[in-house]
Amino acid sequence: MGTEFIKTICPYCGTGCGLIIKVKDGVAVATYPDREHPVSRGSLCIKGWSAHEFIHHPDRLTSPLLRKGDTFQKIPWDEAIPMAADKLRETAAKYGGDAVGGLSSAKCTNEENYLFQKLMRMVFKTNNVDHCARLCHAPTTVAMAQTLGSGAMTNSISDLAGAECIFVIGSNAAESHPIIMGEIYKAIDRGATLIVVDLRKTAVVQNAKIHLPINPGTDIPLLCGMMRHIIDEGLYDEEFVKARMEGFEELNEFISAWTVEKASGECGIDPGLIKLVAETYAKAKESAIVYCMGITQHACGTANVLAICDLAMLCGHVGKEYSGIYPLRGQNNVQGACDMGALPNVYPGYQSVSDPAIRDKFQKAWGGELSDKPGLTVTEIIGSAGKDIRAAYIMAENPALSDPDTSHVLESLKALDFLIVHDIFLTETARFANLVLPGSCFAEKSGTFTNTERRFQLLRKAVDPPGNAKEDFAILCLLGSALGLDFSYSHPGEVMEEIASLVPAYGGIRFERLERGGLQWPCPDSDHPGTQYLHKDRFTRGRGLFVTPEYTPPKELPDADYPYYLSTGRMFAHYHTGTMTRRSPFLNREAEEAYAEINPEDAIHLNVKDGEKIKITTRRGSIITTARITKRVSRGCIFAPFHFAEARANMLTNPVLDPLSRIPEFKVCAADVRKESQDDER
Amino acid sequence: MVVAVWSGKLIMLEKTKNIAKQILEEKKANGVLGLMKNQRDIVQPHVFKRLPELDALVLEPKWLLAKLSMSILRSSPEGYRLAVLCRGCDERALIELTKRNQIEKENLLTIGIACSQEQAAICLCDRPYPAKVDAGEIASGVDPFQDERVREFLIGNDKKRMEKWANVLKRCIKCYGCRNSCPICVCEPCKLEDDVWVQRGDVPAEMATFHLIRAFHLSDTCVACGACQEACPVNIPLLYLQLSMRKTLKEKYGYEAGLDPEKKSPILSDFLKEPETGREYPEWINSLREKDGH
Ligand code: SF4
Ligand code: SF4
Ligand code: SF4
Repeated sequence: MGTEFIKTICPYCGTGCGLIIKVKDGVAVATYPDREHPVSRGSLCIKGWSAHEFIHHPDRLTSPLLRKGDTFQKIPWDEAIPMAADKLRETAAKYGGDAVGGLSSAKCTNEENYLFQKLMRMVFKTNNVDHCARLCHAPTTVAMAQTLGSGAMTNSISDLAGAECIFVIGSNAAESHPIIMGEIYKAIDRGATLIVVDLRKTAVVQNAKIHLPINPGTDIPLLCGMMRHIIDEGLYDEEFVKARMEGFEELNEFISAWTVEKASGECGIDPGLIKLVAETYAKAKESAIVYCMGITQHACGTANVLAICDLAMLCGHVGKEYSGIYPLRGQNNVQGACDMGALPNVYPGYQSVSDPAIRDKFQKAWGGELSDKPGLTVTEIIGSAGKDIRAAYIMAENPALSDPDTSHVLESLKALDFLIVHDIFLTETARFANLVLPGSCFAEKSGTFTNTERRFQLLRKAVDPPGNAKEDFAILCLLGSALGLDFSYSHPGEVMEEIASLVPAYGGIRFERLERGGLQWPCPDSDHPGTQYLHKDRFTRGRGLFVTPEYTPPKELPDADYPYYLSTGRMFAHYHTGTMTRRSPFLNREAEEAYAEINPEDAIHLNVKDGEKIKITTRRGSIITTARITKRVSRGCIFAPFHFAEARANMLTNPVLDPLSRIPEFKVCAADVRKESQDDER
Repeated sequence: MVVAVWSGKLIMLEKTKNIAKQILEEKKANGVLGLMKNQRDIVQPHVFKRLPELDALVLEPKWLLAKLSMSILRSSPEGYRLAVLCRGCDERALIELTKRNQIEKENLLTIGIACSQEQAAICLCDRPYPAKVDAGEIASGVDPFQDERVREFLIGNDKKRMEKWANVLKRCIKCYGCRNSCPICVCEPCKLEDDVWVQRGDVPAEMATFHLIRAFHLSDTCVACGACQEACPVNIPLLYLQLSMRKTLKEKYGYEAGLDPEKKSPILSDFLKEPETGREYPEWINSLREKDGH
């Protein structure tokens, strides 16, 4: 007992900063930054500093809960686990294994994700496993796999500090990834040029040299216009293209249609400025492109990422230090959940389920038959709940708040025969469960997280899970064993050894090697030091491929009935569906209630004052929220953070999907805004 | 030469371990707060309680322990005594905390460590050693005002400097790291959490309210440890904000925070006694006194 300090990793964003948790008599009482951490080097954002605050919250689940009518009843584990196993097995027996759906989690460790997908695939012979990456970076995985051969950040976070030009598109890094923004500032202090494409005047924009407030959803015209100018002026890296690329002819032909003037007409940016930006990016010795949800959450999300890859490869700004492409991952372990095969079409390490040789390898290793049919995605699993999907196991995900068109999601969850939710709080989703399993938070378990720069990092257990809650790893082992698998792992480190034996790129990853600073994959063998940047002399896929980015304008544009653009996203003190941050007093005080940002001129027009209630309506539904009047949004635009259950911004968003990656279009839809008058009923 | 530096460091470490050992053996304290490096090479703060643990004690990197020792003392039962490894800035911070009744002197023992010359240069520290040095060679102080970057921010054309400050301060992401890591920032409630001054839910934090309030609140207590600046994720030179005030206090009032436990800050000290420092009142002071009935 007494005071102990435990080093671990931040549970919030994909930066994966190093924390030290102070434990006093078994209770986590404070968080400090880790001075030795390779990414955060003694700094944290407000969320990291507050990471201990929700751990011992009285709302934590402390016992398995079984639904009895409208209420929940506490039951012991030795009832809960057999029941979960029986119900899932029954469903599979009655409707086939594909009637079971599993949502794994970007908040859980690599080992837990690995066990989760192995369980679904082995027990039910289904590939219906997915997680929330679908809602943020599925287009990244698809597009970067196609062009470069690997869907991960090409370089390391610290490389940004050495770039000469940084092009940020659709990312509010200053609020969502503040520690990464710190590296960008270092570059600026060394004289780098920061160019930002964003509709809003975010904190990143305020520190930029050039700001391009493009029309919503017109990233492709802008990028194509830039590429056309770069080719016309001969500014592209001809040698690089010749030596390392294929598909240039096709790209060139496609791009020829995108004159700078045409691009300008679509995106609303002055042709001169497009040219200037193109030249700055192309001419710099090292240029980096940083992007986030503003690029991916569109019905043309995959094409957006393709355009980014094309631009970077055209100028030879990949495969070397200080340059590259930086998709910023939202959740702490969304990279790892993808890496571990919590995806419907691939096994761990992005190995395709439909490739017979690979399937064979996994069948042999795991000792059982596997399905070759790609499974359903998050949105499809939820969409067909009660129809093709009869039972679901949801681990630490909250689709009731995070998915688009949430009123539809709620209906679907109700329609399931049996829903198991495994989480740390009774989330909006867990309220619909038949059986709730109390899991562990980041401070209560060991395992690994992989941050957005492919770095495997060690999570260390600081405190015990509350009450009868269990470590997630233990729950999965119990459930797997109850379902007849050999899940007799004694420690997550053993699972990592199994993973390393099945995925060549993680072959050298062992817990002992991660103690100090972690390791960036690929790390094929036990002497390999890890990889700072990818595609050095050769792309993962061999030659890089230019793929033409087809432009489709946003599916829903403002019209007479719905005259505003509505965009959703995050604010600095909260995180995703708010289950953890809204239970952290210090974070919650920054924003206790839902709000939407609205431009001062629009506010005058609508006769709304700061702090007054407004009603935002789209074709899906409406929410009532508080107006925050700010010039950060331009006229005609509304921005609503999606953290708040009482005003679910995602009730409003458009569930149209990107045909390639199946990501929903969160970023743009048309909305109407009214002042909410007192006498109006609801 | 390199060998000499190394052996110097080793001697210093051995000396420190011996003192810590003695403290534990003689039960002068219940624990020794320092840095521990485990078999896996990880360094972190640790309260050493048993003798064999001391093998893992290390002195690097610079890791301020003053605030940690305060929080440990505060949450410990009565009579708990803690020894802490102190660099110069640590010791000065502890003295300031004692002056503010945040720590009971009797419960705290210090083991003074002198910083190396390189460390002093990194920190721009004008006094890289504690008053009581138990281990290490005393390095000479660095005058921060000779540093080029400091001069850019603190000396010369006001308009240009204002621009420079505005440019860096607007990066602030309001992580509160500067406040959290400052050993002297201990007020409750904190003014930076007062709605009158700092708007909730908004970034960047306002220059005039957030940053200047913080700077002025620490004007006479800042011990120039640099923890605020080191914790800042967006590289704002927060220490520089304090340097001019420290300089003024030193040159005009002969006062330096954290040196003399008995000496009150001139801001707190009795205004009427000021002539003792050799300064004169202006005439109008008398009229004030009469009005107040003194
Ligand atoms: S930047 Fe991300 S990982 Fe770092 S402290 Fe903040 S939330 Fe945690
Ligand atoms: S340098 Fe910064 S952290 Fe240290 S005492 Fe001064 S204000 Fe506080
Ligand atoms: S540490 Fe830096 S970013 Fe954080 S609140 Fe202080 S000044 Fe702002």
